[in-house]
Amino acid sequence: MSLLALEREVAALIVQTLKLKTDWSTIHPEAALFGDGLGLDSIDALELSLAIAQTYGYQVKSSDPEIKETFSSLRSLARAIEKNRTK
Amino acid sequence: MSNAPLIALYGPDDTLAWQADGARSAGEFLSDVAELVDSLPDFPSVLNLLSSRYEFLVGFAAAMVRGQVTLLPQSRAPQTLRRIAGENGDCYGLTDRGDPVEGLPCVALPSGRRRSDRTMRIPQIPLHQQVAVAFTSGSTGQPTPNRKTWGALVSVARDTGSRFGLTAGRCRAVVATVPHQHMFGLEASVMLPIQHGLAMHPGRPLFPEDVRMALEEVSGRSVLVTTPLHLRACVMAGLKLPPVEMILSATSPLARELAREAEERFHAPVNEIFGFAEAGSVASRRTVNADEWQMLDAVTLTGAEPDWSVQADYLPRPIRFPDRIAVTGHRRFRVLGRMEDQVNIAGHRASLGDLTRKLLEIDGVQDGAFYLPETGHAPLTRLTAVVVAPGKTHRDIQRALRLSIDPVFFPRPLLLVPRLPRNETGKLPREALRRLVEEESAHEC
Repeated sequence: MSLLALEREVAALIVQTLKLKTDWSTIHPEAALFGDGLGLDSIDALELSLAIAQTYGYQVKSSDPEIKETFSSLRSLARAIEKNRTK
Repeated sequence: MSNAPLIALYGPDDTLAWQADGARSAGEFLSDVAELVDSLPDFPSVLNLLSSRYEFLVGFAAAMVRGQVTLLPQSRAPQTLRRIAGENGDCYGLTDRGDPVEGLPCVALPSGRRRSDRTMRIPQIPLHQQVAVAFTSGSTGQPTPNRKTWGALVSVARDTGSRFGLTAGRCRAVVATVPHQHMFGLEASVMLPIQHGLAMHPGRPLFPEDVRMALEEVSGRSVLVTTPLHLRACVMAGLKLPPVEMILSATSPLARELAREAEERFHAPVNEIFGFAEAGSVASRRTVNADEWQMLDAVTLTGAEPDWSVQADYLPRPIRFPDRIAVTGHRRFRVLGRMEDQVNIAGHRASLGDLTRKLLEIDGVQDGAFYLPETGHAPLTRLTAVVVAPGKTHRDIQRALRLSIDPVFFPRPLLLVPRLPRNETGKLPREALRRLVEEESAHEC
């Protein structure tokens, strides 16, 4: 799967998992997911991590030195999933 | 007895905490406290915002030695901090380096600082000394300060430990997902270990994999102090956790089904603590076995149906239960629901809490809540329920509800949602629930 297609898939997963009233196609791939961007918080991160583990078999962990980068935007999250996915 | 020691049941070389740079012994902890005591400014109270649980404890202990009161902010939101600072007179912030609070004098604790070799005897703190102020959660109205004495914290810690037989021989460490600046977090993840010679993990694991790693980082069997939210994540992630001696959950009601799954998966009893900011922890139960709560040893029930209060030597006066309870036996009670969540529908009375509990007992329901919409003077208000139950249909839930509640309380609408807007401590703020119901109702029209 191309990174672009994966980005779309992850955007849809975020919207579906977090029940955002946002059309997934309007999430800018480089906009911030947390804080000022989509406004997600740590509980969203927890929910999202469960969905990512179930869909892609990637167990997110805070001790990962790239964790902040991973959750910074849709694009970086898709890249991390591409790199770490087991399914 | 008018004093109690800062820490108990440690030898000088016993591990009190794990830090990134290794174990910190009880003796080294006392050196860290001694070092900090002299560098604290002369203010009556301190906002302790330190992110490491261990550094928080060092700050808390040093403040007590100096006779200063530690303020426990509910959140790090700048407006919350400014409000607390404004309402509590002269105070300063104790912060991680590079993380000051605007408009507040701050002392930054350098991380990875040089460890001193000063020695200090274990301080004896007067039981009546006021040491902390917890703030009541916003979900029940305007936040109000609740003052805590050292005696109250020590009593709860000792009684919780003896309730569950927590001795250094049986388990070694405490790992917690809850914030230490929260009343339950302070009691269960800071006071509980230091009064029982246990070692604390300094972090606050969030993701299930973080919890697994934290449990691996400490040696020996641990107590996992957590919330239903984190516990559900750990169960759903299907991880294999290192051996756990016990799981302690609080902050929101734990569904019995989740407690059962967690016990099976982690081979440890899941105990729940009942408490509220005004009184601290007051009772416990093993969720899989009992609806009933058993009071902690130093706490007694006083009053009469329906107005019960809790009383203890360390409380300034009897404190009213925030919930309606039914006393079911000697020092035992059942929670019927919150006082303010009483509903009266067409002459039938029930509590939203009780209805929610019945909803949560339905097979396949992971989370849920009943909600009373504000409809002004409409002749008949119907309840709304929001339910998280993947794979279940409206009809499944309705059929199950029919068995447990009066038809007048049937939710109309019943909204199936992917998740509830719980906050960081697992509570469901009424305002967030109202917004969710509004959005979902509009969506379904």
